[in-house]
Amino acid sequence: MLQNLLEPTPLPPSVRANRLAIGSPEYNEILDFLYDEAEMLDNLRLAEWGELLTQDLEYNAPLRHTRSTAQFDQTYIRTVQHLHESYGSMMMRVKRITDTKSAWGEDPPSRVKRMVSNVRVYKTDKADEFKVESYLLVTRSRFDFDYFDLIPCVRYDILRRVEGSLKLARREILLDQVVIGTPNLGIIL
Amino acid sequence: MQKNSERTLADGTRISDLINLETREVAMRTLSDPELYELEMERIFAKTWVFLGHETEIPKSGDFMIRDLGSDSVLVARDKDGVHVSLNVCPHRGMKISTLDCGNTPAHVCIYHGWAFKPNGDFIGAPVEKESMHGKLLSKEQLGLKKARVAIYGGLIFATWNIEGPSFEEFLGDAKWYFDTLWCRTDKGMEVLGPPQRFTIRANWKTACEQSASDGFHVLTLHRWLSEVGPYRKPGSEGGGGDLTPEMYGSEVYTAHAHTMRCIELDRKIRRLTGKDPSELSVKEKLEALPPPGVTQEMIPELLRNLSEDQLKIITWRPPQVGNFFPNGLFEFVYIPTPDGVVGVMALHAYVPKGPDKLEFVNWILAEKDTPPQLKATMLRLGVQLLGTSGMVEQDDSDTWPHQTIAAKGAMSKHITLKYQAMYETGKPEGWPGPGDVGDGFTKDDTQWRWWQYWHELMTAES
Repeated sequence: MLQNLLEPTPLPPSVRANRLAIGSPEYNEILDFLYDEAEMLDNLRLAEWGELLTQDLEYNAPLRHTRSTAQFDQTYIRTVQHLHESYGSMMMRVKRITDTKSAWGEDPPSRVKRMVSNVRVYKTDKADEFKVESYLLVTRSRFDFDYFDLIPCVRYDILRRVEGSLKLARREILLDQVVIGTPNLGIIL
Repeated sequence: MQKNSERTLADGTRISDLINLETREVAMRTLSDPELYELEMERIFAKTWVFLGHETEIPKSGDFMIRDLGSDSVLVARDKDGVHVSLNVCPHRGMKISTLDCGNTPAHVCIYHGWAFKPNGDFIGAPVEKESMHGKLLSKEQLGLKKARVAIYGGLIFATWNIEGPSFEEFLGDAKWYFDTLWCRTDKGMEVLGPPQRFTIRANWKTACEQSASDGFHVLTLHRWLSEVGPYRKPGSEGGGGDLTPEMYGSEVYTAHAHTMRCIELDRKIRRLTGKDPSELSVKEKLEALPPPGVTQEMIPELLRNLSEDQLKIITWRPPQVGNFFPNGLFEFVYIPTPDGVVGVMALHAYVPKGPDKLEFVNWILAEKDTPPQLKATMLRLGVQLLGTSGMVEQDDSDTWPHQTIAAKGAMSKHITLKYQAMYETGKPEGWPGPGDVGDGFTKDDTQWRWWQYWHELMTAES
């Protein structure tokens, strides 16, 4: 009961038989969406990115734990998480950067590349919704530091067709690191 | 012969040369020096009580979690007798005993040569008992894991290597009177809402910890967004806002062992919620108008029962909302305005030293056990959104501390001083019933200066 309230809505399963073929028109449209989204975020077009979100957005990034191989399914923690956002809180994050002069954690902004790959698309029970899995490798460069923070993760998205356009309704980000190696998640993944 | 307290660094600098007790300045060098770091691990982290987590993280017998006590990995494990803290290093050949983050087991078996230990650290045995792999020179009693001394307070787990040193109560000193109002106010106590967030910052542990000692001033500038678009935006101040000074008034408490807190005034909030002058309301009426974080109307009788009249006066007037427990713990029990009313957030942090230029930020989010589930979920979401890894408040802190750490290395800048010269001049506010040193009014530097005074005391103490 408590766990259900603390955790986000579970994602639908990825059913192999419902997979869209790579190169099919809908697959290509979704790949375009992910590439365009990465371009917007890399170039700080955050207000424009906000328009891609549905009002019922759920956006979360579980914690990870190092557990034994036999307990691999317990390596994901969805009670306390690194991110657990609604549409309202996500837009507050956007506004903090676009509408203030003091979002110091990202001002000056990081130089970020979001490299999207391994994209797989599944039809779901809902005709207007697709489940999309992608790998994301983020490189983040701040100030004159001679190193990059690397943020490798898998994303599980629900993309919904709304009045002809694709929108992001749900995103779960599974980070590889137990102890996150970048000083904050002040950038959008 | 040179006294221990006059121990010098390799270049001849004495520790006392790094801090000017008259002008309240600290040399920047302290924020990155590797020699000082090694001394801190011995003289501070091996001597004081250190916060490791919460007992609700390991509720069942056999549950364990791996934490850091200063620069050492420790096994924090429960058995039928309670919680035990032992060095997570095999006394045989020095392998890490547990390489996991947590789990449940009646026996911790080292993967290297198979030596096994109970959750309390006692040596069970080595493989092939009849061949006596561990030899005959030492008894089994002598081959257990090195054990730390443990104290549980309000569910918080503290441990120290200083087996003969001061008791935990002595270490808390006057701070306990205030901490009781946060951690011991309800009948069932608190619980974690999940395991802690953890992330690495390339900064010296003291950059985070001296700030945690109730730095009020930084909120005005570093966290200004709170009043520009965030929860402290005033109606009608669209985008302009930016003034957080009303939040900077109250009392600041600083105690002998550098546990400090900002007790931020609730009068304005209570006046807004009730339309009445707070001085005309009873303690009970004020608690009902604005209960502390995680507390519901049903739980108010527990507070009235568990806290003294003087403690109740403080928590309905100027409750401790943010502060630290020396050396590396922080609490935030804050009242956040939201469109749906004031929502409390309860969080604890540890800033774990990971070398002179690196720290691990560990963030626990809690609620009272009796907080209704829906409110727990709301508190958790708000906590994640404002604090820790992605927190809109604390991401600004995590981006600041690395710059201080880098600056502490410059040939010139390492001699620049950190200054703590804004001082309270009037003493305790009238009618303040709590112990410790207390400042009244707008935030000052006294709490942080106390942090450095105690750092200096420990770093120069005869060992």
